[in-house]
Amino acid sequence: MMGNLIAFREQLGDTRLAMPEPLSREAKDGIERLASFPTTRDEAWKYTRLARVAALQLSPLAHYQQPEPSECSETIDVIFEPHGWFCAAPVEGLIIESAGNLAPEDWQACTTSGHVQYLNTLAAQGGACLTIKAGYEIPKPIRIIHRAKGENFAMVLHHQINVEPHSKVQFELLYEGQGQEAYANILVDFFIAESAHVHVDKWQNTQGTHYGFYNERIYQERHSTFCLHTLTVNTHFTRNDVEVFSQGEAAHTKLYGVFLGGENHLIDNHTFVHHMAPNGSSDENYRGVMKGKAAGVFNGKVKVYQHAQKINAFQSNRNLLLSSAASINAKPELEIYADDVKCSHGSTTGQLDALALFYLQARGISKEKATEMLVGAFCAEVVESVQSKHIQRAFAAYFSS
Amino acid sequence: MLEIKSLCASINGTEILKGLNLSIKAGEVHAIMGPNGTGKSTLASVLAGKEDYEVTSGEISFDGKNLLELSVEDRAREGVFLAFQYPVEIPGVSNVNFLKTAMNEIREHRGLPALSAKEFLTLVKEKSALVELDASLASRAVNEGFSGGEKKRNEIFQMAMLEPKLAILDETDSGLDIDALRTVAQGVNTLKTGQNATLVITHYQRLLEYIVPDFVHVLFDGRIVKTGGKELALELEDKGYDWVKA
Repeated sequence: MMGNLIAFREQLGDTRLAMPEPLSREAKDGIERLASFPTTRDEAWKYTRLARVAALQLSPLAHYQQPEPSECSETIDVIFEPHGWFCAAPVEGLIIESAGNLAPEDWQACTTSGHVQYLNTLAAQGGACLTIKAGYEIPKPIRIIHRAKGENFAMVLHHQINVEPHSKVQFELLYEGQGQEAYANILVDFFIAESAHVHVDKWQNTQGTHYGFYNERIYQERHSTFCLHTLTVNTHFTRNDVEVFSQGEAAHTKLYGVFLGGENHLIDNHTFVHHMAPNGSSDENYRGVMKGKAAGVFNGKVKVYQHAQKINAFQSNRNLLLSSAASINAKPELEIYADDVKCSHGSTTGQLDALALFYLQARGISKEKATEMLVGAFCAEVVESVQSKHIQRAFAAYFSS
Repeated sequence: MLEIKSLCASINGTEILKGLNLSIKAGEVHAIMGPNGTGKSTLASVLAGKEDYEVTSGEISFDGKNLLELSVEDRAREGVFLAFQYPVEIPGVSNVNFLKTAMNEIREHRGLPALSAKEFLTLVKEKSALVELDASLASRAVNEGFSGGEKKRNEIFQMAMLEPKLAILDETDSGLDIDALRTVAQGVNTLKTGQNATLVITHYQRLLEYIVPDFVHVLFDGRIVKTGGKELALELEDKGYDWVKA
């Protein structure tokens, strides 16, 4: 029996959040039912081995205290550090509070599934609860910054973001810091009300043997839009699960990502879009580049429910392998129960264009620089639509290093 | 400038060049003619350093250096320029960014400071006018969506920017109408100095009306079988390649 999940859950400690009873029970029962970590026989973990995660010796990161205000001019910052958390003095239309202050009934209804979410529900140490009031457009991007450093720590957070009707907001989710044999499990729920617009840029660049599990769950009401960019560079182990419940009519979703892996890294992107109402759309575009012995995964699932007519769902995943030991596993999954929909997907995995490389070199450009230019061009389509200048700069800096 | 001695080269085990000799001095224009499949483009690729080709024996020295020991990029930095028969489209890489990177890597190799943005743009303006390349093409992705003529002009534009010592024009005339051919040829002629040399590889004599060679070589079955002055090209046009084969 691999990796005892119950023992693993115990070393994370108990949650500091007052979760609704049914959710806690669901999670507790879930852990007991699973009893052990999933193996590669489990479809959702087919290409991602969890043995090293299961063997981690962890202690919970410091308790998250009441937030203290911080100042930043260009952005509104919410900063999670090991010994507490800080947030900007709120601007008009934005309410920031500690998730620890939420009563069970303040948590919006959702269900959990899978060991990552169960563990989060049972062991979350803190989180932020952000509310964008109806009709407000927040003038500056809100950054939620995670920068833990250390060894053998477990950072388990649950953020809840409520975006009220007719409001507009831009987020940056930053996952940086350094961990040795460390564990992160960070769940962000977005409740996007009617005609609200949300843009999220997510930057993942943790150092060290840091095992990160990141979940975003997005609940979209009618006429809302949600756009997510996930940029993952050079992380040791990253699993992203993005699940969209497009439950209101004419809701539009864009999920874009770039993931660059080297050495023996693993970067696993799972997306799941539920089209539950008519006239909506989803557009996915993920680009993976693997070198060294890195392994990448893209699994994109789209489910169109029976009454969700006139859905337009498009998915594209292109990957580059820069070495013979690198690998990519790509799997699109479409489940369509409505009869008047447009769904398409395409996936390619290949190597760098040898002729293009030769052409650049024949003009005096070194092989390294030429490779960098071609990989940059390959990622450009996704990176160009990232709104955060900070993340674009961080990506460019990573790239030229 | 360029000395090729007994060069043999093969691709996938098939020998294409079978003991080729060629000597080019600064200030000269050489033309290599020959029927299809005799090794013209192989010679161009071997000079530029394309890895698909294996040099099995022979020597190439360029300005006293052993060219075969240099990487593709170092050959370019030393002054070898290949104008491609089929210029490669590179989506996502802008022509300007590409050229600026190339120029600065070459300048660094030669111990020169990087160009300022202003100096670079002045050069782009001047050199693109030379081949009548639409200035808007400079900001587009490398060769992407360019017409055949635009691609060839872009090659000569790059040549003008990089100022090579030895320019190899591989079938630059193919796919060009007569106006484009004239423009491209004029560009090449303008760039000619006493210090650089040009190697024109072509199937037809047509291009040589505009770029007048000092020497014409006939390549057949991997060797140069005949060498003469510019009149040799006309003779070939008249009598066909069977005449040299015989």
